[in-house]
Amino acid sequence: MRYFDYVEPKTLDEACHVLKDHEEAKLLAGGISLTVLLKNNLLAPSHLVNLKTVPGLDQIEWVDHDGLKIGALNRHRDILHSQSVRRHFPVLAEAASKIATPAIRNLGTIGGNIAHAEPSADFPPSLIALNASLRLKSPDGERKISIEDFFTDYYENVLTPGEILIGVEIPPLPAFPGGTYIKLDKVTNALAIVGVAAVLCLDERGRCVHAGVGLGGVASTPLKVRKAEKILLGEKLNDSHIDQAAREAQAISQPTNDVNASAEYRKEMVYVLTRRALQESLRRANANKP
Amino acid sequence: MIKHDIELNVNGNRYSVSAEPQRTLLEVLRDNLGLTGTKEGCSEGECGVCTVLLEGIPVRSCLLLAVDVRGRKVTTIEGLAQDEGLHPIQKSFIEQGAIQCGYCTPGMILSAKALLDENPHPKREEIQVALSGNLCRCTGYVKIFKAVEALAGK
Repeated sequence: MRYFDYVEPKTLDEACHVLKDHEEAKLLAGGISLTVLLKNNLLAPSHLVNLKTVPGLDQIEWVDHDGLKIGALNRHRDILHSQSVRRHFPVLAEAASKIATPAIRNLGTIGGNIAHAEPSADFPPSLIALNASLRLKSPDGERKISIEDFFTDYYENVLTPGEILIGVEIPPLPAFPGGTYIKLDKVTNALAIVGVAAVLCLDERGRCVHAGVGLGGVASTPLKVRKAEKILLGEKLNDSHIDQAAREAQAISQPTNDVNASAEYRKEMVYVLTRRALQESLRRANANKP
Repeated sequence: MIKHDIELNVNGNRYSVSAEPQRTLLEVLRDNLGLTGTKEGCSEGECGVCTVLLEGIPVRSCLLLAVDVRGRKVTTIEGLAQDEGLHPIQKSFIEQGAIQCGYCTPGMILSAKALLDENPHPKREEIQVALSGNLCRCTGYVKIFKAVEALAGK
């Protein structure tokens, strides 16, 4: 690792200012992705700012009618074990359980997983399917954006200098929900080749009143499949709707060849896995419906 | 280059180390404190031989900066054996023949300890998940799982 100055901010404002004043400064959260880059000298920041010394970024709070507020420094382990997450959005706990191994889950954070902007990251597809938004704090104030608007390219996001991702907010789901995250990996819980999250909600009559489909690993960023969601919304879902939706997921995907899989294989698998994820989510939603 | 004064709490002992922020916990444990039970393998957090317990839960010492764990309770393999001799987990590994070259063993044992502390009667599948981050090239894992199962309820 090249030399860097190490900073332990006491407040969020202090952290934002260090980042803004030093263009080459980087944030340290869990360090799972960052430290590997530092060790390989792929990154040589001037300053490393340890966000964990700022208090209050690791809360999980459910607010009736408003939804779930998750602080960015919650570790994958915290998401996995949280009663609030398991009760309201179990698909997120499912995604957390599929991240790497216990020691990694004990250190890595949801904020880091999102901000690192790895297209195959495990949280974004589920968060996209849940219509989550992100709280971004800068020296000038705070803004909220939809998660699907956060990513711009491989490992690139919309954060401006001095801006920090501080929280994730997930609105309540209508009626009877069912969510699934399917991860295709070579070795259990390794980096996803393709990741598909599907969230469906049914009303008392069995009509679809919410449809969310998020994809990972099939483009330069995680994707929201709006066309699939439109096909599913308002319908009493049958296999034909699901099949059309899965075809839309395939159509929007622009995967590349890499050492783990070919573009052709990913393109085929995104169709197969979106079908499966939708079928399973429908089954779970029906199981939740009395 | 600024060195930071780092107060470390390792195996119940206090250590004062002066080190640059780039030093990983693994490097400091081995090179500054002479605790060589924790090993270096892949250096990227994938293999598990660098596993230590941080406040009782398994973490990757090769991915932690020493400055980041100031004052927090670190347990290495050296911290397990008490005055009475080897820790029951260490004894069970020996009894079951779960050690060949021994390189994965400290990490395996610490991951097993964290599991048993939280879940004293783990099922085979729960053991597999708990140890999924510790790779072994020698044993084929079965005797390791048996060594952990033999400790259920003890």
